[in-house]
Amino acid sequence: MIIRKILFVFSLLALIVASFSINAEPFKAGGALGTQTIDGYNALGPQVEQPIEFPHYIHAKIMKINCMYCHTYARRSAVSGIPRLDKCIGCHKMIPEVRDRPRIKKLFWYWDNHLSIPWKKVHDLPDFVRFNHERHIQRFYFQDKRPVREVCGYCHGDVANMTTARRVKAISMGWCIDCHKKDHQISAVNLKTTNGPHDCWMCHK
Amino acid sequence: MSLNNLIKNWTSFRARRPYLDQYKNADYKWAMVIDLDACTGCNACTTACYAENNLPVVGKERFEKGHAMHWMRIERYWGEGESVPVDMVPDKGAQFLPMMCQQCEAAPCEVVCPVGATHHSADGLNTQVYNRCVGSRYCSANCPYKVRYFNWWQYADFAWPNPLELQLNPDVSVRSKGVMEKCTFCVQRLRESMDHAKTDGRLVRDGEVTTACAQACPTSAITFGNLANPQSQVAKVWKNQQIALEKDEQKKDENMRGYRIFEEFRTYPSVVYLERVRDLEA
Repeated sequence: MIIRKILFVFSLLALIVASFSINAEPFKAGGALGTQTIDGYNALGPQVEQPIEFPHYIHAKIMKINCMYCHTYARRSAVSGIPRLDKCIGCHKMIPEVRDRPRIKKLFWYWDNHLSIPWKKVHDLPDFVRFNHERHIQRFYFQDKRPVREVCGYCHGDVANMTTARRVKAISMGWCIDCHKKDHQISAVNLKTTNGPHDCWMCHK
Repeated sequence: MSLNNLIKNWTSFRARRPYLDQYKNADYKWAMVIDLDACTGCNACTTACYAENNLPVVGKERFEKGHAMHWMRIERYWGEGESVPVDMVPDKGAQFLPMMCQQCEAAPCEVVCPVGATHHSADGLNTQVYNRCVGSRYCSANCPYKVRYFNWWQYADFAWPNPLELQLNPDVSVRSKGVMEKCTFCVQRLRESMDHAKTDGRLVRDGEVTTACAQACPTSAITFGNLANPQSQVAKVWKNQQIALEKDEQKKDENMRGYRIFEEFRTYPSVVYLERVRDLEA
């Protein structure tokens, strides 16, 4: 009996030690991009290495291209969509002055070899969550007429100052609910407020 | 709605008896009508449900143990109220009744859930949140229709061997071992159409969205729609059959065919069955 009790205590201790090691922070702390999440902590996602180091800051910040020019499905479907290669080429065919840059060379290498670029996912939600881009974009960009960089930035951070995108917000349920709890004014003229949905089956599938 | 609101109005999120004109000002109340006269018992609805909702095929052995996962099943009945031994089942003359979650307004499953994994949504659905479910199975025990199914196995590991996992519906999660699941009225379709409708600044039109079973039914025995809209097909049938959501005892004319199963239990189900007309003389 005593041996069993000792074994039990030891296994408990082992469990506690194990749980501490599991609890280690999966993401690096500290704000390289200086973005604070709503719930106060910085949840920088891993730096995803993309096949081409796509410079968001050139397209979105310097050239001031609307996010939805490339992520075209964001306003009418659940997913925002990664642009097809012909969308990149469609513009870059007309910009011969940057053709000799290494990234553009790589882009045309994919085009010449009839390959699509294997972009990697940065903002990956769990399989049991249903997030709808359409409703968020329609509500805050088209209805409230807020700037597109702000609207997308609520969840994606300041992508216009990044090269390849990196997850800077927590994108966890508590973080979503924080926003859905807030009283959002119906429109610029209508002072009545409304909340985002709280029903479980709105987001969980 | 905030957390304060949730705590303050907690009772409205629990099951309770529906009242008159409860959904009069609501946008949606999903409901269904099944015409048993048109049902041929072909099982197309069951098959469609398997395909739409990522249901695993459990096999004969597990089926015999009662581990079947069919959210929609076809029940067979012979004769008028007489029981037939299993080995004496006649070859013909069966009557069919598709049975799935009745989305009760005062659902017996909701009150017994210890963790609030099943509750009522604003559009009248009896929700089941898989992430919150701890697998106590109280809900299944308390369900008079026996339409809740428990995951006894981690079906995701073996039910869809490669490349079959490619046919899984990405809009529905693959449930894991130890959680309860049931018919959702194809909530993924409802939510998609509601989102598009809201973008257009309107409500979902009648016939714009339907469940997988109603879509697959070859005889159109199943009608699905929005009961809050009095112009919808479903609302018309409910009205014509003199069935009201908040009544537990229907006082209706002799020639009415509509009824709800186990009305006397006061579960206030959202599914109306149209009784089969039988020619007893022939």
